[in-house]
This record gives sequence, structure tokens and C-alpha cells, in this order.
Amino acid sequence: MSLIADLRTLLGDDRVLTEAVELHIYSKDASLMRGDPTCVVLPESTEEVAEVVRIAERHKAPIVARGAGTGLTAGASPINGGVVVSLTRLDDLDLDVDNRMAWVGAGVINLDLSVAAAPHGLYFAPDPSSQSACTIGGNIANNSGGAHCLAEGATTSHVLAVEVVLPGGETAVFGDAAPDPPGLDVKGVLVGSEGTLGIVTRALVRLLPLDPDVRTLLIDFPTLEGATTTVSEVVAAGLIPAALEIMDQNMMVAVENWLHGGFPTDSAAVLLAEVVGEPEAVVAEAEVISRIARANGAKEVRLAADASERAQLWLGRKSAFGAMAQVSPDYYLHDTVVPRRVLAETMNEVQAIADRYELVTYNVFHAGDGNLHPLIPFDASEEGMLEKVHQAGMEMVDACLSRGGALSGEHGIGLEKRDLMPESFSELDLDAQARLKEAFDPAGLFNPAKILPEGSRCFDFGGVRREIPDGAWV
Amino acid sequence: MLRLRRRETGDPGRGLGVTHPPAILQFETELPDTSAGAIGLAPGDTDDLAWILRYATEHQLVVDVRGGGSHHGFGSPPTPDLVVSMSRFDGVQEWHPDDLTVVVGAGTPVASLEAILAEQSQTAVLPEVPGNATVGGVIAAGLSSLRRARLLGTRERVLEVTVVTGDGRVVTAGGRVVKNVSGYDLPRLTVGAFGSLGVITSVCLKVLPVPESAATIVLDDPGQAVAAHRPLALLETSDWSELFLWGTEPEVDAVAGRVGGRTRRGLHWPSDPEGALRWSLRVPPAMVGAAIAALPEQWRYLAVHGAGDLRLASDSRAGAGHLRAWAESVGGHLVVVDAPPAALPDFDPWGTPPPGLELQRRIIAQFDPARVINPGRLPGGL
Repeated sequence: MSLIADLRTLLGDDRVLTEAVELHIYSKDASLMRGDPTCVVLPESTEEVAEVVRIAERHKAPIVARGAGTGLTAGASPINGGVVVSLTRLDDLDLDVDNRMAWVGAGVINLDLSVAAAPHGLYFAPDPSSQSACTIGGNIANNSGGAHCLAEGATTSHVLAVEVVLPGGETAVFGDAAPDPPGLDVKGVLVGSEGTLGIVTRALVRLLPLDPDVRTLLIDFPTLEGATTTVSEVVAAGLIPAALEIMDQNMMVAVENWLHGGFPTDSAAVLLAEVVGEPEAVVAEAEVISRIARANGAKEVRLAADASERAQLWLGRKSAFGAMAQVSPDYYLHDTVVPRRVLAETMNEVQAIADRYELVTYNVFHAGDGNLHPLIPFDASEEGMLEKVHQAGMEMVDACLSRGGALSGEHGIGLEKRDLMPESFSELDLDAQARLKEAFDPAGLFNPAKILPEGSRCFDFGGVRREIPDGAWV
Repeated sequence: MLRLRRRETGDPGRGLGVTHPPAILQFETELPDTSAGAIGLAPGDTDDLAWILRYATEHQLVVDVRGGGSHHGFGSPPTPDLVVSMSRFDGVQEWHPDDLTVVVGAGTPVASLEAILAEQSQTAVLPEVPGNATVGGVIAAGLSSLRRARLLGTRERVLEVTVVTGDGRVVTAGGRVVKNVSGYDLPRLTVGAFGSLGVITSVCLKVLPVPESAATIVLDDPGQAVAAHRPLALLETSDWSELFLWGTEPEVDAVAGRVGGRTRRGLHWPSDPEGALRWSLRVPPAMVGAAIAALPEQWRYLAVHGAGDLRLASDSRAGAGHLRAWAESVGGHLVVVDAPPAALPDFDPWGTPPPGLELQRRIIAQFDPARVINPGRLPGGL
């Protein structure tokens, strides 16, 4: 029987999608690279995922796991065709309030988990900007970050165990509710592996107690350096605020035009700082931040008066990428990280590169982490524009890497940054990563062609095409 | 196959089978008792170490890697042919306080690193009372800080790692920034791996700023701690419970006032309990109270509330079997940290082997194909 016939026998006709319009929807994530899936399956249990894997492997078809499709690096784009495994129906959620944990299906939406935990005084810390849409499975695949991972760490710090369908179709649970499970930390390496080592179907995640108090400050600066220096000095003063986010003037204008949230659009930059904890802590820490900001030329320190004003400020921050829709039809978003001490000079360099290419950048970034997100709006229908943006983007990446930075802070490598990996790692380093992949997936059917560039290790991908389709942007 | 002959006094190189070992190799004269007959080597850089490991792979020699020796009994230590001391991989290599990262040689004592970081009010959040333990040793053995309920364990600190694999490849993974998803998280995989992916030679750690104020509060009852939101630590022994706080001065003062109890300024960390046998009991965080109740009589404990981490000591093994059965029934583990040779002949140091042993074996085979570094030391005889 054919691949599709076998899958239909397992799942029925309505959970194996093959119509052109359906395949088109699942042919890419939120990046610019489109693949060509053979079919899309909608399993509803771990057992069904395992069976799908066995069927796909029997037919030597690539297996591409997918959550909500909010990824930005083509991690879920099935560029070699094959079976897209949509995990959104794995949405069970089982809270363990005593242990401050929850077993969650891969398809549970990030924000839904925190909403479900809130009545018990708990929340899930990783909060990507897409948290109202993205899934826990996707967060795990990309080790997603978010504005609040400065203080609490990215997704990997909050995943205690995973249930995973491994290549070959075997299901295993790695990790425990108890700390330090003996043996290799297989769970630790599955997080962030972008579906290339297995398909995580459920996870045991850590929940944190909601903070008794919070202060959110919006501080506007006449210069970007004032904002970045403030961030450094706040940390040097012994504080790790829950968030330290900077937005530049271009981005503020875009957000303000859309949301009318009262952002100071005449300032060069704003710093959005948030401190959480005991009531005395947030008062004292907000005072320290205000003092440092004023010493660095802050024009105004605005304290969110209540929960709704705080929500408004965060809505502005988290809507930044959405606000770009009114600016241009397409945008390209970077995700490099630099050591924090070179943050300001890197920003200047990024700006200089954009000027040289006659491009405009919009910046909103996790300043506390040194995680830059320069965003270049453009119109892909304009001839030569894509290449120009691409070229400028590569120079920006180089500007970060040459200062000791990393390729990606929270979006992942996927396909988009795959061929830049040799700029960060030696041949031996990449070979070691490819060996890890080989230990899990010797046939190379799990999300092929992602993370590692071709030739990282001389092994055969089991007859799967690895070339990149025309028009793909890598 | 070449096997090492027993080492003879005054000629440490004899038996290596090489007439002229490279001048880069430095021989250790003092070896631990358990390693009688082995040759001690103290490589000075990754090239030396790679040479040694390639040699070991070629000749199927068993390599024991030593940091400070504080947890040398952990797992099932093999009888080595070569003992490699990491003492010369010592010192801070790169540290920019503003970046909240530090790059340090694996042989650096934890105490030295923390002392250096403290000069700029920073901490790597490694074990507070490390004895001679080294940074590489703590990572390889997967030991964590007493502050782990608030600041998480050592796994969360390792940003970049350089290892020399069992077959002598020098591999770096991760990056020197606090946030990074470039490639597989091999650094995390080395934590608790006892060198099975390679000997750790240097690491980049995520450090934290130390706030201005701290306090240690003796509690009459650990239940008093509920008055503190996410304290730095709540520790309990059979004799006392102590709450550890840090933060701005107004916060620490206010919380200490709410909690009540005798307050001392600063953080006064206890040592792990001592005894002929040392154990690590790991349970789901909410089970710490039940775990204390399940301990055999005479066993001493230091419990880290909120983390499910209990450090135990006993004079005999009596009751260990029951305790392990209980721990495993609640999803936990009882692990032997140290025991005199032959004290626990029929007691696996790790307990019931974890799932996915075959996968773990395949992973290790990619890094240490001849299985020369600490063979058999991991659960399931890996």
C-alpha cells in the first residue's frame, strides 16, 4: 500500500490531509521558506504518533513535526516533502499542584498552560511573543525564550521530562519529577533539537508560583546608549529583573500607530523593565532602576499604575512584530546574541550596515540577555530586494559573530541559519553534533536538512533528497 | 594488546610501551589508593590530553579522570590503567562581569572560582561547600548548589563546554553568551555524564550578580518558610531548619521580620552530612517531608526543600534496600555517592537502570567508541 493509504488505514480519511489547499497551509511556518509535504496527519495520541513514524519510516518518507507553525527559521517547513505530523490535537493537561509541575501534551498552547495554572497560583515561565498561539511542543523543539527568560531561563530550564517517539517508533520517557535522573540527560539534548532527534509528544514542565507583586517601568531615553548602559548598570547593582526590553524609535512609532498605547515616539529608545517578587523587593528594585536610568539621561520614568496599564505596555512589546504588517508586506527578523558588553557597539554596526544597503531597521530586543532582534521590513515583490536584504542580513550576523556572539538566541537554526553554522563551529564541532544526530536517527528521516549543514558528517541520508527547493532562502 | 605493567617506584613511565613519551606529558607521583598500579598523568593542554586518550583508545586502556577527588566514589568507578589529573587545566580564562559569563578551566577548584567571582559580587551558583571539588568534576558528576530550588541546578549554568572525546577529538559546543540555541545542547549532555562524552577541559558558565543583602534564619519549624516568596533556600536536618534569603536590604529585612526566628547576616551554608556511606536521595519536590520520614534510623540528612534533593550519610547500609524501594515507588532514586570498597557488593550504586539504555549506549559510542573514559560508571553499566 502507499504511504497515504497506510496512514488513512491508521487515522481515517479526515485526519490525513492531502488536498492542495491543505498542503499549502502546512507547507511552511512563519519563515519565508516553503516546502512541499506529501500529506499532513493529525494524530490524537502518542500511540498514533508512534504508528505514524513507523509507517513513514517503512516508506522512507521524511517526518516533520509541527506545532502552531509560528517558528521563524523554517524548522517546520517540510522542504524535502514527507509527512507533516501536526501535534495540535495532543492537548491534554494534567496539573500537579503539590509538586508545581504539569504533564502537558505537545499541542497545548503556551498561554493556555499559564491560564490553567493561574487558579492554583502558578504559571509557566517561558513567554515567547507568540505565546498566545505557539505550542509547548514547539517551545521544546526550539528551546524558546521570551521576555521573561532573563531571570528564569529559557524553555529547557523548565522541562523536567519528555515523552518522545524516537526514530524506529519506540516511545520512551526521559527525565523525572525527581531531580538529577541517573544516566545521560537525554531529555536535555532533545530540548532544542527541532524535531530532528524524535517527536516529543508530552512533557513534564516546571511551574513557578505567581509573584505577589510586580512593578513595570517604561523609561524613555534620548539615546540608545543610555538605555543599554542602564541595563548593564542595573545588573551590576546586583539585580536580575524579570525583564529588560529595549525598543528603538522606529519600532515605537510602528507600535504606537497601531496600538495607541502611549509610547513616547519622540524618544530614541525606551526601556521596558519589570521587577517581581515580595512587595518590598519590587519597590526597592524599581527605585534602583529609576535612579540608574536618570543618571544615564532618562527623560521620564513611567511606572505602570495598575494591571491594565501594565498589560498595555506588554501588549505593545509583544505586538511589535505584528505591528510591522502596516509597515511592509515582508520583514526579515534576526535573532543573534552578543556578549552584553558589546551590545551598544553591535547595534551601531547593525545600523551602519542597514544604512549602507539603504535599508531601515526596527529594533526591539531582550537587552538583558544581549539578544538582538533587528527587523528589516521590505517588499519581496520588488526586484532584487530579497537578495539585498539577505546580503545585509549576513553582514549583520557576521557583525555579531565576530564579537563573540551566537547565531540564534531563541528562534533556532532550522533551515534559515543552517548554512551559517560553520561560522560558529569548527568541522570537528559540527561532526560531533552530526554524530549525536546519527545516534538517534541513523536513517536521517526526522526533519532532514535542518540545523546541520550538508557535509557535517559523511553519512547517507537514506536516499532522501537534501537539496533546497528553488526560491528557498537560506 | 598492550597491557600496562604494575608501576614501579621511580620510573613512572615504565609499562606505557613507549620509550620516549612526549615531553609534554607530566607524570603524577601521588595516586589515590584505589588506583594502585595505574599510571598517573597530568596533561597540560588539550593536545596532551588528546594524545593520551588516543593512546588509551588504541590500546584499550581504562582512563580515570580526576578533579579534586571529592566524589571519586560516585557511580561505579573503574579500576584504571591511567589516572588523568586535570589539575593543570586551572584558572579563569575569560571573565567579563558585564556579560554574566565566565570561562574557566575544568581543573579549577570551585572554591577558587567562587572566590574570584565574589570580588565582583558574582556567583556561578556551584556547590557552596565544595571541599576540593573542581568545576569539571562538579559538572561531570552532576552536583548542584543548595540554592537550586530558587536558582536551579548546575545543568542550567553550563553555556559552553570543550571536551576531548574518548578517541581524542577536541570538541566545543554551546557558546559564550547567556542565551543560545545554536545546535544541539551538548553542554547539558555533559552534566552528570561522568566524562562519557569526553573529558571536560573548559567551560563557560552563566554567572549571576549577588544582591546587596543576605540573611540566614534559624526556624523553629520549616513551615514558617511559607512567609517567604521563593526564598534562596530552605534546608533541613534532624537538628535544625534554616531559611536563606537574599535581595535588596529592604526586602531581606522585611521578609526576615515576617518569617520570624533567629536571623544572622550573610549566608552560612552547612556541609553535607558525613559518614562511612554517603548517599543522594532524589524525590519529587513535594515528597521531601515523606522522604525524611522514610529514612532508616541513625541516617543523617541535609534536605533541600523545593528541590527534592536530600544528601544522606550513614554508618551502615541497614535500611538502604527499603529506602531505595520506597524512593523508586514515588518516582525517585537512591544513589550511592561514596562507600568503602566492597561495602555494597550486591547493591547497584544507581538502582533500577533508566530507560533508553540502548540509545544512551549509541550516543556514548559516538564520543568514546572504545569506551575508555570511566567505562561502566554510569547506570546500566554504560
